[in-house]
Amino acid sequence: MVVVKRKELTLAERLYLPEILRGLSITFRKMFAPRVTRQYPEEPLPKNEVTRGQPRLVVKDDGNIACVSCGLCEAACPAYAITIDGQETERFIEREPQRFDIDMLRCILCGFCEEACPKDAIFMSDELELADYTRKGLIYDIEKLKRPASALKRRIDYVHKINRRWPTSSST
Amino acid sequence: MNPLLALLIKASAIYGGLLGTAALMTLAERKISAWMQYRVGPGGILQPLADGVKFIFKEELVPDGANRWIFRLAPLMAAMPAMMTVAVIPFAGDVSLFGVDFGPLSITDLDIGVLYVLAIGGLGVYGIILGGWASNSKYSLLGGLRASAQMVSYELSMILTILAVIAVTGALDLRAIVAAQDSLFGWNIWTQPLAFVLFVIATFAETNRHPFDFAECEPELVGGFHTEYSSMKFALFFLGEYCAMIVMACLTVTLFLGGPAVPFIPDAPWFLGLAAFAVKAGFFLFLFIWVRWTLPRFRFDQLMGLGWKVFLPLALANLLVTGAMVSLF
Repeated sequence: MVVVKRKELTLAERLYLPEILRGLSITFRKMFAPRVTRQYPEEPLPKNEVTRGQPRLVVKDDGNIACVSCGLCEAACPAYAITIDGQETERFIEREPQRFDIDMLRCILCGFCEEACPKDAIFMSDELELADYTRKGLIYDIEKLKRPASALKRRIDYVHKINRRWPTSSST
Repeated sequence: MNPLLALLIKASAIYGGLLGTAALMTLAERKISAWMQYRVGPGGILQPLADGVKFIFKEELVPDGANRWIFRLAPLMAAMPAMMTVAVIPFAGDVSLFGVDFGPLSITDLDIGVLYVLAIGGLGVYGIILGGWASNSKYSLLGGLRASAQMVSYELSMILTILAVIAVTGALDLRAIVAAQDSLFGWNIWTQPLAFVLFVIATFAETNRHPFDFAECEPELVGGFHTEYSSMKFALFFLGEYCAMIVMACLTVTLFLGGPAVPFIPDAPWFLGLAAFAVKAGFFLFLFIWVRWTLPRFRFDQLMGLGWKVFLPLALANLLVTGAMVSLF
């Protein structure tokens, strides 16, 4: 049997009033404590390399995206947000996406596409704001997804650092 | 000046002040609660105005099976008594503005001011009971029942504490009670400290405020007696509650803190007295909000136990001792 020992209350505690005054003094002091409210649209959210925002396609220094339309991110996506159609290209990588759409309304920002990508082509950016007047406008195509590698550098370095913890994974 | 015109001007000034303060109190409530929770709170002094406009444009719903007449009447019955009781509160001494003498700053000066406040203030509970009953909803009904039980039991000890004050002062007229406390050490709080504490706590129960707000306790009763109310009718309940708070704060100041008496300045001009009154009443209004955001709600049986087993005996004993002292010395 569990016996819970109740604390014996002192007279001051049973009188309520001293304890009430103590509580009142606490709330009064807290009125002058620093605020935690963030004025969101004017004052941006704190972001760092761990922030997992919307996925973006990396544009390499030569102006092309790194994607070879292998379809691994499409397969990894638990929300079926990614749609890829591939095509051949004259470039050395031989294949590139003709169409690469991410339905941002479906995307759950899980980061599986980033993990799945063998070519370091897709990364989670720190962009989180999502608004449009139509649903169609929120299906992002290649042009909307493109970001220069410099803009995503912090995240790319972070992912590489994380991946170095598992130098030999079972699949490679 | 025509006394009727002076009365009209005074009445509109006092009612404007009352309703304006009530509107500001809704803002203060939200702002102070925000401060106590590290938040910023709503910005802007026009917030009550926006709330009011919003309330007016909301749809008015009358639930099926509700008693339509009483349902519509109840918010008025809840709001009116609080607004009526402010009539006898003496806010300041003789007012003379631009060389015109307006007389003392209170709408009327009844010989039985205290009785009037208690009699009319006691009617406020009808609005809550009838509103709860007429809604045809179990939550509303329970809220109304709780409100009635609570108000009746706390009104008793409140009246007993006031009786002690009356015994000390020997007058039922609020203006005479104020006149008897013109110096700082003549305030009734020094001769009646226990009555003061009991009275302040009883005002919390009387106005249905935390920690005694069982009439509208959200986790148990959805919204209590006003669950089914919407739009301006809902706003009227709130107006009534805030007006009752203001009246109770004014009454506390009048009965225990010398009303418009300014400490260390005897025969202060009327505007200083009014400012002193506002500061004192403002403290109690702040206390209402302050306590609300500090203490959790009581349990209902604790509330009734406190009212009948602690407050009533203490108030009776206080009255007994006061009576003995007054008749002996």
